[in-house]
Amino acid sequence: MKRVFGARGAAAAVVVVAGGAAAIVGVGVFGAHGAAPRTGPLSVHAGLKKPPGAVVRGTTLVDEKGARSELGASVSGSMMGPLAPVAVRSTDGKLIAYNTWQELRPVDADKSFSAQGIEKGAALGVPSLRIHDDQGQDFLLARGAYSAAWRHDGAIAFVQGVDPVFRASAAYDGQVVVRRGVHGRDVTWMSARAHYVVYAWAGDRLLFYRIGLGEKTELLVADAPGKIRSLAEGTAIAVSPDAARVAILSEDATSVRVLDIASGREQSWIDVTIATPALRWVAYSGSWVGDHIVAPASAGLAVFQVGPGSLTLEQVLSLDQAQFPPGVQEPRFVDNAGNEIAASADVPPANGNNGVSFLLQCDRVVRTCERTDAAPAKEWLRQVDDTATEEGGQW
Amino acid sequence: MNVRGAIAGVLAVTALAIPANASAYRTWFEFTRQSNISSPLTIATDYGGGYISTQTWRAGSGTSTDACWVSHGWLPTGWYDLWGHWDYYDGTIKGRVFYLSNKPCWNGTWRSALFIHSEETAAQGQYCPTAYDDPYCWEGAGDYYSNGCIKVSRAGNPSDLRLVHGGWHSRSGDYRHGSFGIGNFLYVRDY
Repeated sequence: MKRVFGARGAAAAVVVVAGGAAAIVGVGVFGAHGAAPRTGPLSVHAGLKKPPGAVVRGTTLVDEKGARSELGASVSGSMMGPLAPVAVRSTDGKLIAYNTWQELRPVDADKSFSAQGIEKGAALGVPSLRIHDDQGQDFLLARGAYSAAWRHDGAIAFVQGVDPVFRASAAYDGQVVVRRGVHGRDVTWMSARAHYVVYAWAGDRLLFYRIGLGEKTELLVADAPGKIRSLAEGTAIAVSPDAARVAILSEDATSVRVLDIASGREQSWIDVTIATPALRWVAYSGSWVGDHIVAPASAGLAVFQVGPGSLTLEQVLSLDQAQFPPGVQEPRFVDNAGNEIAASADVPPANGNNGVSFLLQCDRVVRTCERTDAAPAKEWLRQVDDTATEEGGQW
Repeated sequence: MNVRGAIAGVLAVTALAIPANASAYRTWFEFTRQSNISSPLTIATDYGGGYISTQTWRAGSGTSTDACWVSHGWLPTGWYDLWGHWDYYDGTIKGRVFYLSNKPCWNGTWRSALFIHSEETAAQGQYCPTAYDDPYCWEGAGDYYSNGCIKVSRAGNPSDLRLVHGGWHSRSGDYRHGSFGIGNFLYVRDY
């Protein structure tokens, strides 16, 4: 990987300098506290009793008012990790689609398949999508399916496995389908069988990943059933609130581009390794509110400012690496001003302790966070994604 | 059947006829997770009588240290089977590759289609057309980063990739290529 200041690098440097100057003269966003967000460490404290918005954990849904209800099955993002939300709320707010995993036989992750007598092709589990409505009803949407995204009109896109059973074999091939309402029929939008993850709707366009060898990711856009085009190699950070643009992360996780989804044209670009402060990497699945984007980053969180034809790194919020070694995932702005950020933080197993998850709520102006108590990582403590009700999924 | 088809058929039969483990020395790899761009990859051969011979190279995996982060984190700990080995693989990953079995990480997320490989062309060459990061060109330490695969250097002569590849064949006595299975081929541990 060469670090060469080409024309793009020089342009990015100019943009970064310009962005810094803008912050100095006070053109940046000011929080409710009257101060401009500044780069620095986040101070994390226990005590978050009620995360913003609805959350899921195991078989429990806690809505935005704190009311608990029982899900029909335990939530699990085992088929896609943070590439897509574990649970997503419909545009009208009444339905939550969530991912589950039915284990057909236990797998000891420390042992190889062969040592457990698991032959190639053996059935291991079944991913499914379920729906939980605001009346407490819970039902199966699709068996052998995962990664859902709601369209503004109530249609839901997801990956339907060719064979519903996940096996000890190569890829879990599927097709991308769209169901017009939870009781409607499926229309195949991407018929070629491959390993996909549905990411999000951008208006009437569907964004989804094709996962290749070595987990190489390609972001595809479907303009209509069968009308598929490649948007970029890499992953998506967020769709703009007007659903016209998407922030794309390069395959090597070092540069971010804003693309016009309709044309695929690049509008702005930044290499975070030569930004100020420099970052080693940023990651996918962030959030976009107004002209701000937040993404996971090597230091913790990166907040970008999107201008007309420019993309600047406005703020880096660093987390204590001893407390949260791999950082945070799926950060989301939870206020319209773009000052409050909620994210999940997973801590891997260490010293005989199992992995755990926290939810954090952070104020990026005063750089403090509150965190929930730890939950077992296998219970998938996550925010319910309500992007469809407020961001790129809406007209 | 044309000539090419006939030759391919003969080669296939020959390949199947070669003993899986001609030298019968149990050989495996161990990857010790230290950092994304500098972690030791060791080949070990058990010659019996308690004598285990090893050789180690620098390797990398992932961009972050969260093994549950699909397409971003390093690979999960534990034993992996081998699902195939090719010398001239021609997918998005090319050249000399070892295909690893799938593995769930610690929160249950499945990691899949991971390999031990480097950055080279299907013909085992280097293709470096730009001043930026070319996917089939080993430019330097930054190339140890991956979406989760274990990567070794393609620089130098012999390259680490060549030594890893040659070491596997000569130590194990297993000269098979293509899709096949070997149990407990790789062990991934924390430092």
